[in-house]
Amino acid sequence: MNVPDQDRKNQSGQDNTEQLVDQVQQAISTHTPINIVGGSSKSFLGRCSEHKSLHTSEHTGVVNYEPTELVVTVRTGTPMKELNRLLADNGQMLPFEPPVFNTGTIGGVLACGLSGPARPFAGSARDYVLGMRVINGLGQALRFGGEVMKNVAGYDAARLHVGAYGTLGVLLEASMKVLPVPEAELTLQRELTQPNVTADLVALMRQPLPISAASIIESTQYIRLSGSASAVEAAAKTCGGEPVNNAAEYWRSLRELDHAFFNDDRPLWRISVPEFTAPMDLEGDWLLDWAGAQRFLKTELDAEKIYAAAAAVKGHASCYSSAQMQASEPLFQPLAGAMLSLQKRVRDSFDANRIFNPGRYHPELDF
Amino acid sequence: MSSHAAQSDQPATPDMTAKRQEVAVALATLVPANCILSSSEELKPYESDGLTVFKKTPLLVVLPETVEQVQAILRWANAAKVPVVARGAGTGLSGGALPLEHGILLGLAKFSQILELNTERGFARVQPGVRNLAISDAARPYGLYYAPDPSSQIACTIGGNVAENSGGVHCLKYGLTVHNVMAVTVVTIDGELLEIGSNAMDSAGYDLLALLNGSEGMLAVVVEVTVKLLATPPCAKLVMAAFNSVEDAGSAVGEVIAAGIIPAGLELMDKPAMEAAEAFANCGYPTDSAALLLCELDGLEEEVTDQIKKVSAVFKSCNVATLRVAETEDERLLLWKGRKSAFPAVGRLAPDYYCIDGTIPRGQLPYVLRRMEQLSAEYELPIANVFHAGDGNLHPLILFDANIPGETERTEALGSRILLLCVEVGGTVTGEHGVGVEKINEMCVQFDEASLLQFHAIKAAFDPDGLLNPGKAVPTLQRCAEFGAMHVHHGQIPFPELERF
Repeated sequence: MNVPDQDRKNQSGQDNTEQLVDQVQQAISTHTPINIVGGSSKSFLGRCSEHKSLHTSEHTGVVNYEPTELVVTVRTGTPMKELNRLLADNGQMLPFEPPVFNTGTIGGVLACGLSGPARPFAGSARDYVLGMRVINGLGQALRFGGEVMKNVAGYDAARLHVGAYGTLGVLLEASMKVLPVPEAELTLQRELTQPNVTADLVALMRQPLPISAASIIESTQYIRLSGSASAVEAAAKTCGGEPVNNAAEYWRSLRELDHAFFNDDRPLWRISVPEFTAPMDLEGDWLLDWAGAQRFLKTELDAEKIYAAAAAVKGHASCYSSAQMQASEPLFQPLAGAMLSLQKRVRDSFDANRIFNPGRYHPELDF
Repeated sequence: MSSHAAQSDQPATPDMTAKRQEVAVALATLVPANCILSSSEELKPYESDGLTVFKKTPLLVVLPETVEQVQAILRWANAAKVPVVARGAGTGLSGGALPLEHGILLGLAKFSQILELNTERGFARVQPGVRNLAISDAARPYGLYYAPDPSSQIACTIGGNVAENSGGVHCLKYGLTVHNVMAVTVVTIDGELLEIGSNAMDSAGYDLLALLNGSEGMLAVVVEVTVKLLATPPCAKLVMAAFNSVEDAGSAVGEVIAAGIIPAGLELMDKPAMEAAEAFANCGYPTDSAALLLCELDGLEEEVTDQIKKVSAVFKSCNVATLRVAETEDERLLLWKGRKSAFPAVGRLAPDYYCIDGTIPRGQLPYVLRRMEQLSAEYELPIANVFHAGDGNLHPLILFDANIPGETERTEALGSRILLLCVEVGGTVTGEHGVGVEKINEMCVQFDEASLLQFHAIKAAFDPDGLLNPGKAVPTLQRCAEFGAMHVHHGQIPFPELERF
């Protein structure tokens, strides 16, 4: 009996693995670092070096998508727009609600570890990654994880690449868990007595409610409910508040960072803290997403001050306006001590010669 | 379960006795004397974990009481180059906590305190020796629980859950350990204490938390874990559906998901498993059917009521033979009881059984079950199947009698063959039990040489001298070469009577 053909539906695009491996091997042999580029949509995150670019934008298409398996495998140069459209056509979605940033690719989303407003309730980009193909610093195309939900064979090197900004290798393919689009959605608006206080949301999260997003702008709270129509209706009564019109556009604008709040000349910072953290004493304008666990700050404050404040509440900060910062200022919360040494050794294990994206992420990991 | 690794308990040689003495003296300067076990009676209970076909006596067992002691022990082991195997409750099924004769066994049983139960902020900070179920028990009065529920949850500890990235019947909807752990504090082999993760939703630098989960004690020793607590769903209902063919049951699973429903649990049993469970638990399974699905739905009452209607309609469209919705909580628990006792129930059918743990793409289930029927006939060993159908995790149970010469070896060979079948259809050799020593050969088939070398490089980044749980989880290339040479025709091992390496 032969193994039945794996359903390789919706195959499309172009497999550029060979060319990418060749380019990496050439970079290794000539000791020339490379700058990995997908849709060129995230140059505001981290510092792009002036090294030669390795383009993944021609490495596109769906490798495998079987909706009833709840898994999609795509080449990393696939535009987010295209992937979202395919999933939506099948009534499914990437539950971590990643940003599109117009020309962004799925590879870029995973390399930067970006998740949207649903993150505290549905999980993050790394949570939905099941497997990955990557090129390591020896120029080898490796496969970690797979296309199944449960898989504990070998170290979880696939999830390790999520949010590593390409400094551990070139992402080739990713397999991700997908979920059905919820039947109904409703966003409620409630007024707070004090701005930027998350206590109400933290309490609400302890109740069995189908909350799928929660944000605060100044003294207004926005709570999104998702699920069956009956569940959303019942939960709305428990939550209270006024229904918001055009809520989809509101959440889209938070996800894509183009809400009016972001239209401001001052540098943008992202501060990741426990959601129960009290309002932080940093001067500027705030937008709290992820129930308060992801806080955006528009400010002229020194980087050092922001990093210190984030560390003081066991969080970390990163700058989302790299072009506005001095070359000497770190864009990510600096690592130190034993953690820095360990992370450097992890980097060594994938890219000992620092071929991939030097300078892009934590420069202290480059040495 | 590979026979070449299984060893009988050898009497200690004079060399070993001297080494044991020497290590005991050294450790006595680091921990109180009552934390060190070195007599053969004391060591006996530690010679295996849940996979009892493997037994080895450790050099000695040390049961530290404080994090500082763990740091001191690892610092000493690193300097003396003595290997260390960490152990929780010892319920693992892949031999991950199998001791090493020349290594110390680091038992974390004394770390059994819940350090902080924060019901307002929805997390618990616990020591690694806290039992999985104890967390949910503590949180329950506050309407909260810890989601991953491996079937050994009454006994297994959270430290072991992190090491194995344990799952459970509810993980399609609520995720694995990796999705529910917010932070761990670990001690590295050089005695350094590191906090990985936090109460924030991500951390600076690489996601080492993801890497630690499922690393089988090879990278660091976990001394504290912060887990997420979720709000208990107010309503849970169970639908039982029996089908006249496994194909119908399999397609029903796909159709439920195609209808946009993610059940809290979705379990499939084949006829032999169903019959055994029914005989054991008298739960009312229709044993004249070919396959049984248990589909649990949870959430707000309104949502569950809707979903039961939808799911019932889906099953009817898939030629369901018997359809029942548990009307009462007692009935729901009784129907679950059959499934949850499937292992001991199958255990009554034969003197021994061996549980396999592979994952397959769900659509491959009918093919895999047909193929397993053939293999069962070929190896002359009956197989019963329970299947976490929602996430494709298959647990074939091979029935055998270890007292019949050759039967254990035939069982091993069949088990290995089934794991390779899982890889063949695009799956994996272990869904939730871990590689340990049990599936180390099959890793050679699932991963190529370069990927295995990358795993070794990751290990070296944490543990350059390979002192933490060496020999587990990731095979050496030499071992794969030997296995490959041996494994020319899928399980048709030449000279099966010869001792292998």
